[in-house]
Amino acid sequence: MSKPSSFSLRGRKALVAIKDERDLSIVRRQFERLGIDVLTWELDGALGCHADVTLIDDEFLPLTSPTQRALLGQCPVIALLGTETPSRLKLLLELDPASFLVKPLRSAGIYAALVMAFERAERTNELRQQVVKLEERLRSRRLVLAAVLQVMHTHSVAEPAAFALIRRAAMEQRKTIEQMSAEIAAKGSLPRATG
Amino acid sequence: MGREILKSALMAVDEINDHPDFDFSLAAHVRDPRGIISEYHTVCDDLIRSAGVEHIIGCYTSASRKQVLPIVERTDRLLWYPARYEGFECSDNVMYVGASPNHNVLPLVRYVLDNVSRHIFCVGSNYVWTWETNRVTRELVTAAQGSILAERLLELGESAVGHIVDEIVRRKPPVVFNTLVGSSSYDFIRAFHAATTAAGLNIPMLSCSLCEPELKIVGPASAGCITSSAYFESIRLPENLAFVQRWKARHGETSSPSVDGQSAYVAVYLLARALQRAGTSNIGEVRRAAAGYRYNSPQGPVWIDGGNNHCVLTSRLAVSNAQGQFDIFWESDAPVKPDPYLTQLDVAVGPAREKLKDGSSPSALHLRVVK
Repeated sequence: MSKPSSFSLRGRKALVAIKDERDLSIVRRQFERLGIDVLTWELDGALGCHADVTLIDDEFLPLTSPTQRALLGQCPVIALLGTETPSRLKLLLELDPASFLVKPLRSAGIYAALVMAFERAERTNELRQQVVKLEERLRSRRLVLAAVLQVMHTHSVAEPAAFALIRRAAMEQRKTIEQMSAEIAAKGSLPRATG
Repeated sequence: MGREILKSALMAVDEINDHPDFDFSLAAHVRDPRGIISEYHTVCDDLIRSAGVEHIIGCYTSASRKQVLPIVERTDRLLWYPARYEGFECSDNVMYVGASPNHNVLPLVRYVLDNVSRHIFCVGSNYVWTWETNRVTRELVTAAQGSILAERLLELGESAVGHIVDEIVRRKPPVVFNTLVGSSSYDFIRAFHAATTAAGLNIPMLSCSLCEPELKIVGPASAGCITSSAYFESIRLPENLAFVQRWKARHGETSSPSVDGQSAYVAVYLLARALQRAGTSNIGEVRRAAAGYRYNSPQGPVWIDGGNNHCVLTSRLAVSNAQGQFDIFWESDAPVKPDPYLTQLDVAVGPAREKLKDGSSPSALHLRVVK
């Protein structure tokens, strides 16, 4: 199975919302060099196809349609800045851009902005998945605590020993400690106090 | 190397001015930034504002090109950049006449992976050319289940190479990739040759930059280096035989053209031919006229790819010999399309076999043996 270079952008699709014709032609040409397909975003029209990245001109902001905002939430966003005023930056920050470019555009910078956007999106996704996992574990702490207390009470053991019993039972049954704890709390079925 | 580029560019200017096919003459305004990076900006500013220059031929390092770039873009001039470089740039105001990374690094590393070893010891100068060459090498080597045994970097101009040579003799890597430049490279090659000979080792060395004038500087120790380049003095094309003859008549029988010098010569010809075709020196018109306009140069047919302003050219591999020349053993079977962003690089995929409509090969290389 061949693996493309991590810095090769060939075959990716970009949704491009740029007003200025010159800037748009620079983006088109540079994307062609990089092997990226361009999908032009008509703001008043519906867009069904999936893009890997969106370039959006700050002149299109603020986005009023919920559909447009939802569309931007599906892939990394590169913001095209025409002005650095805080009011404009505030509008851009609402899009949570992964990278940015400053107008007027040059070919230089576009490749780096794309690579950074994809990397940023990848790392943000990893962090999000990690947060979800941690939140699940946090929620199940109450169950683990309840199970530990139950085992401490029924087996007359201290907290470390009770936890060790639950962990061993979980390992034997190939379950997570959280799943084992949920069963103990729900069914009252306790691991045997052996060993 | 700057002097080699200047000598070659001026030779081309003189030829064009004497040639009946060109109905104009070129006026060369020479400035010497002396390799001082900050001087390039000043010198180009002067060329454009005071001398009214429209086309600039020069720059060797990427650092110097980056200094010139903002001025040529702001004033809409054209820089004809002759040197091979690491890619990842594409300005409308630069014509990149030298090799792109897919022209030299890729064929060299692929050849080594197929024929020498999958384990490479890298030594290079601590700057962008080495960093990027090593990155690409690492991607190719890793995809082939090989390894980079070491990546040793020396500051530009550093001559203390002994500790790296000692490490090579101790570890006996199957192959060494040398991306050192200038005097560091010469010192390293001499020390490497002496130490490996004394130890009875036969370790091949690789290079993407070694050229004939450097072989003369280094001496006999430079023999045996597997080198990737678009130009060697030993190319047996009639255009090159005539070029070398003219070169020696102008610069002396013992003198040799270099790849970057020859590229500057090609750059002047590409410019002159585009000027002739466009009928004007207007930058946009010249750029359009240059795109796809084939020139049978000393290194073979070349032309500018209108999509990215880089040169379509033939890749070659050779081994340096004891006579200060290169024995060419492989070359691409057609001029290769430039791929400055290595967009077409698929590290695990072998060479493609198809040809493009314009007669060039796709950037993935296929090579043939040259007798």
